[in-house]
Amino acid sequence: MSARIKTQNLQMNADEDDQMKHSRFIQQGRRIGLAAAALTLVATGAALAHSEGGGVALAVEGEPAWSLSPVYHILVAHFPVGLWVTAYLFILIRTFSDSTIAVQLQKAIWPVAALGTLAGFVTYGLGLTIYPWSAITESPLGRNHILLATWTLSYWTVMSVLGYRFRRHLFDGAQRWITFTLATVGALVITITGTLGGSLTGTPSLVTKSLSWIGWNVYNTFYLPTWMLVVYFAGAVLLVAIGIKGYRAKPSLK
Amino acid sequence: MQMKYLAGSVAIFVGLLVLGWTTQGTGIVKDDPERNIVIPDELTSELQVKATYDGEKIWFRYRWPVDRPSLFNDVLVYRDGEWEKRGGEALGPNPDFLTEDRVAMMIDDGSVPLFGRYGGYITIGDGLTTFTGTPETDEERTKYLPSTRENPNDFDTVKPESDLETLRAAGQFIDLWQWRSSRSNPIGLGDDGFVAEERGGDAGTGPYTTNWDKATSQPKYMFNPDVAGSTALQIDAVIAGDVGFNDTYYLSAETAVPFDPNYAWKNGDTIPRRYLRQTDGSRGDVVQPKKARWRNGFWDVTLVRDMDTGNTLDDKIFKDGGNYDLAFAVFRNASTMRWHYVTLPVSLGLEQPAQMVAERIEPGTEPGWTQPWTEIKTFYPGQVTWGRLTDARQHPGADRIAARVPVAVRHSEEQLALYGVQMEFADEIRRQWIWTLIASLGLIVGLGININLLMRRREEVK
Repeated sequence: MSARIKTQNLQMNADEDDQMKHSRFIQQGRRIGLAAAALTLVATGAALAHSEGGGVALAVEGEPAWSLSPVYHILVAHFPVGLWVTAYLFILIRTFSDSTIAVQLQKAIWPVAALGTLAGFVTYGLGLTIYPWSAITESPLGRNHILLATWTLSYWTVMSVLGYRFRRHLFDGAQRWITFTLATVGALVITITGTLGGSLTGTPSLVTKSLSWIGWNVYNTFYLPTWMLVVYFAGAVLLVAIGIKGYRAKPSLK
Repeated sequence: MQMKYLAGSVAIFVGLLVLGWTTQGTGIVKDDPERNIVIPDELTSELQVKATYDGEKIWFRYRWPVDRPSLFNDVLVYRDGEWEKRGGEALGPNPDFLTEDRVAMMIDDGSVPLFGRYGGYITIGDGLTTFTGTPETDEERTKYLPSTRENPNDFDTVKPESDLETLRAAGQFIDLWQWRSSRSNPIGLGDDGFVAEERGGDAGTGPYTTNWDKATSQPKYMFNPDVAGSTALQIDAVIAGDVGFNDTYYLSAETAVPFDPNYAWKNGDTIPRRYLRQTDGSRGDVVQPKKARWRNGFWDVTLVRDMDTGNTLDDKIFKDGGNYDLAFAVFRNASTMRWHYVTLPVSLGLEQPAQMVAERIEPGTEPGWTQPWTEIKTFYPGQVTWGRLTDARQHPGADRIAARVPVAVRHSEEQLALYGVQMEFADEIRRQWIWTLIASLGLIVGLGININLLMRRREEVK
């Protein structure tokens, strides 16, 4: 076989690989889309079915308001928590292992995380319907739960995007430790958000108490002093600047 | 190179999270006397109570921690020809310890709606005296029962007298027992009052009157030098706590004589602004079997009353086998008004199952106090009003109150104390929290952009 034919065959194989990959991604995308749509449908259906009679009617001056029983938020919250924690577990395994099973699990990380994020948006929305905004933001525990839920959702959105864009490369060389660190922070915020939700419904856990041992009584609103807010905004700008600077620099994993 | 950027970025992010964690909750909650806000150093404390009855009388014994007892309330101090009032009411703890210690107990027999589930919270209307934003007036705007107002959240909408009488006859009032370290204890008395359309004293004469003659701008009484050794105390000794139980430190028929304006008064001479006297009528129902003493860091106080005083429009009548709801308030560290420590409602059973069980003793015998103390947590309540708690726009648990879920099911005392403090800075904290939400979200977005720019695929590495 001439070198030219060999090159043509290799090119054809590569094209077929690309097509197969493309097809797989489309199938995966369809499955995730269907699952997310089904989840949203179930949650919305439950919400609508019980919005009359099942919820708590609140007399609010000026305009009528309604709320959903917290049970729907609590019910749906298990999905993002379960999915994100599963994604973290897979990241943990892949970080410390290059075995075949670890590599197989790694392929499920971004779909699981992304599905968790979609379910997270549904959960977040359902959570906001339970109490009037003016009331829940008067409650220190309510504020804290909203704050941590916002962190969790935004953080795992970032993780999902990262997972989708970089997939196996999340674990290339030393990048795996970055992935591991980021995911561990993500797992912590999920845990705190969940325990705050439990406290809000009157079932505080040991996690609630242990947070006070490390400096935060969850019955105190988590807010930053003004100077720290400035530091946070500066930190956000700095991180973007470092990203742009690094992006322009010569890439290297060494 | 990218790894350094990546590692550095993650380190910055985690560092900011840690820094945020360690600085959170600072910068807003602090004393603000302009708004009548003074935050106690301790937000919770303890009260021990036990009760005994013999079919005729009922005794309550209270014990609570106080670092330094306050034996004086307001006093009159001579300064350059004038008598100046010092002490009494103060914002937060009185640094001169011229505000007395106190214990108060509210009692209901089930007639007052929701008292057994929410305790004293139901008596806190909007705009009470010393609340932030309430103008100072001569009239004290005291706690009241919601049923006594046309609009339960408006102090000024008191129902007509005939309606109030009907409510009173139906038992819609709270019996209020009080003990005061300065204005009742020295002569072994308590004080019997009520909470209905106001917090007031029962009919009759209370244990103290004001030692001040408005016409002459002078005290009415001074110490009897034959009893006290001098006509007055010295303010420095009073403030320093050098005047104690073994000294004559109060004015009464036994220790006082009419004021002598011709006496050679010196700067710093001090006379109590209250004259203690025997009580009569319904107000005198609550007494002490003996004067209370502060020992080893605790006040130990006992009050006693006839189970049936016959004053059914002033007092809750105790019956053998009955169940009652109580709520306590403790005033310590020379604090008064709303700077007290309160309790959630506590159920009392007279030989009946309850949080606190009163033991029956033989008629005519003295209590042996052999039963264990009922330990009750007390907490600083802040300025949380009943109107706020029952408004679904302001309180997520308003629907639980509408469903009559007791406060203790959802909130601990520590939680309520922290909420009480934060409620005093509600607007500031909420604003800062929203900014925290925005800033932290910005940080996460910044991190997301950063990582997406810095992460590399292996094939991109040359």
